Amino acid sequence: MPPTVMVEARGLAKTYPGSRGERTEAVREVSFSCHAGEVFGLLGPNGAGKTTTLRMLSTVLQPTKGTALLEGHDVCQEPSAVRRSIGFLSGNTGLYPRLTPREVLAYFGKLYGLERGHIDHRVAELATVFGMTDFMDKRCDALSSGMKQKVNVARTVMHDPQILILDEPTVGLDVLASRTIVDFVRSYRDLGRCVIFSTHIMGEVSRLCDKLAIIHKGMVQFDGSPEALRERAGDDLEEAFVTILEQTP
Amino acid sequence: MNFQAVGVIARKEFRDVLRDRRTLIFMMLLPIVVMPLLMLGVFKFVASQKVARESKEVRIAASAFDANTLRALQKVWYDANSTVLSTLMAKLSVESLGGVSDMGTLLDRLATFEEAEEKADGTGSDPDSAADTEADAALDDDSARRAAAIAAGVEAMRNLTPEQSALIGDAKALQSLIGNTVFVDYDELSDEGELAQGVEIPDDLPGPLSQRAVTLAVQSKQIDAALYLPNDTLVVLDEAPLSIGFSELLEDDSGETYGSDEFLLLSKAPGLATVRVHLLYDSSQSQSKEAFERVSGFVEALGRFMLVERIDGASLPADYARPIMVSEANVATTSRRIQAFLGGILPYMLFAFCFFGALYPALDVTAGEKERFTLETLLLSPVTRLEIALGKFVVVFVAAMVAAMLTTTSMVLTLTHGLLPAELMASLNIEFQPLALALTGSLVIPVAALYSAALLAVGLYAKSFKEAQSYTVPLQFLFVLPTMVSFLPDVEPDSHMAWIPFVNISILMKELLKGNYLWSFYGITLASTLLLTFFAVWVASRMFCRESVLLRS
Repeated sequence: MPPTVMVEARGLAKTYPGSRGERTEAVREVSFSCHAGEVFGLLGPNGAGKTTTLRMLSTVLQPTKGTALLEGHDVCQEPSAVRRSIGFLSGNTGLYPRLTPREVLAYFGKLYGLERGHIDHRVAELATVFGMTDFMDKRCDALSSGMKQKVNVARTVMHDPQILILDEPTVGLDVLASRTIVDFVRSYRDLGRCVIFSTHIMGEVSRLCDKLAIIHKGMVQFDGSPEALRERAGDDLEEAFVTILEQTP
Repeated sequence: MNFQAVGVIARKEFRDVLRDRRTLIFMMLLPIVVMPLLMLGVFKFVASQKVARESKEVRIAASAFDANTLRALQKVWYDANSTVLSTLMAKLSVESLGGVSDMGTLLDRLATFEEAEEKADGTGSDPDSAADTEADAALDDDSARRAAAIAAGVEAMRNLTPEQSALIGDAKALQSLIGNTVFVDYDELSDEGELAQGVEIPDDLPGPLSQRAVTLAVQSKQIDAALYLPNDTLVVLDEAPLSIGFSELLEDDSGETYGSDEFLLLSKAPGLATVRVHLLYDSSQSQSKEAFERVSGFVEALGRFMLVERIDGASLPADYARPIMVSEANVATTSRRIQAFLGGILPYMLFAFCFFGALYPALDVTAGEKERFTLETLLLSPVTRLEIALGKFVVVFVAAMVAAMLTTTSMVLTLTHGLLPAELMASLNIEFQPLALALTGSLVIPVAALYSAALLAVGLYAKSFKEAQSYTVPLQFLFVLPTMVSFLPDVEPDSHMAWIPFVNISILMKELLKGNYLWSFYGITLASTLLLTFFAVWVASRMFCRESVLLRS
């Protein structure tokens, strides 16, 4: 049986009105699909349109054109159902500094409609998985960046979503904290979930990604496996990535 | 709309904002602590300034002869009234505190009683019990006797007739000029310096006052005022049976002597006339105004006395000089007057604190969340944007209402327990009409909602907390400043006013607190405020649905 398609982006485009009447095309046309049990890497230089694409997938932004289906739910038609299916983490998703990790997780558990008993169980489980038991009752503003990111990832998967979207989740983290995140992504994939992962770090791409897409100038320039990328543009992933960018008209 | 989700958001926001020190300061600390302290401070400061001004020495330029004339006139007044005053002293048990030989001592005693009375009012106890306590604590009999005498004096003061009170008032007026004024001779004034811009020497001043040096001295605060009595003063006054003896004027402490021509004036007899006491002062200087008030108080007190003497001397009836008079009966009870006063300041204070109560939570849950990147986290949860908007609105609205209620309670308690005499408290509490309070409340609710929605919209639009704060400044001018109209004494509630937002509420609240139920004004005010509130809520909810606003950074 072929793996289930979990995310399908169909010609996503996003245009912003500029201050002087002109329009800025952040994403021109992006289409890709990823499946259950797969880590899908989204690569691209700064300003390529990665974050905008992921924000459209998460329903925070409404596409100007095109649409996307996540676990069969249309981002334009059923945004609430889409948000229920995904866990989303980016540099723009912060934690409440005056709340403790336990309170943050419980809050999102309630927003996802989880039962009280289930919330307590899940909070304890995630605290163990991410090694957060020592600081579960400290205020978030007293935590280190690594601790915060762990809490943030735990918040993302509080409702055990089928799709996980992580926008540069290891930026600014030390080696140990990054490794925890990478290990978690791998174990989540192994549970048969779909993970979309945007990053600049080629090491993470080669270690994690089953498939990848390179976005540049608002469009997908490459879509396939890391092996296919190497075949097309060279053995070294970073070199291959640069080659693709340079070939973009 | 999933109200369970709204409840979850609101509960979390409450927990979050209550952990924010700024919110607690604006919502609770300002109304509970700062406002009463501010009110008490201002009242006490004003009172202490008044006392300080009254007790401060003023310097008045006058010739030695004129100064002596004034002193002599005061003594004449005291001598003429000594019988009445000694009766009064006996009544006030002043003697029991030791001998009283002059007016200064008498007034010192009265000041002791007044101070004791104020103290008794402030603590809410009656002077007798205060005296008892003092007597108990006293180690010797003298202290106990003194305390008992003071208590008796305070009690007697409360039972004085209006005429007796007026006499004491006149005694104070006469004493305040003579007892606490330094008379400076014109020769001591220097002519150096330039007149400041806006200072002019009037054309019609008598000779000594028209000198530039006098105005310059007032301007430089070398003196507070300058006084001049016309040459025929004594002659005119002597026509009234004041009988100023020459010895009064010659026995001057300074050892001044006078030329014979000055006393020759006494032989002239121009008949009964009005003596003009000329005074030069600068009303823009408080000490100079004080000098003016002391001189006019002196002149008026003396004038009242001399009028009685003149009428008596002419064998006319006592009412001769008063052909018509007002006999007033004020229907406003003290309580009503206090309510009117409260109505003047309450609307502004109430709405200002309501606004500030809403300000920080509103900006914190919008611009603050943008700054901390938590707004997008919330947008990713499966709740709708309207549910998020409503959850946040509830928190800000409750904060505004709490601040408003705390302000009202704290202000009423400050006035009744801190500023006003104890005996007024009971009547004040009784006369607050529940209906007036309910109607006032019905106006506060939509305004709190309006403030909350407007501040949420502004906070959401701003990119940062700082930017949001700068946007709130014009909002304060627009939403809070108009409520200051209740401070104005003569604003009458007409139907046009009912359509002006915030002005209408302020005026109506003032009337309600006075017990005037203006139903049509109330109807228009409530309807127009509700319309505005719905509009603000609609705008805020629309903004929560616009990604360009939510993600503006």
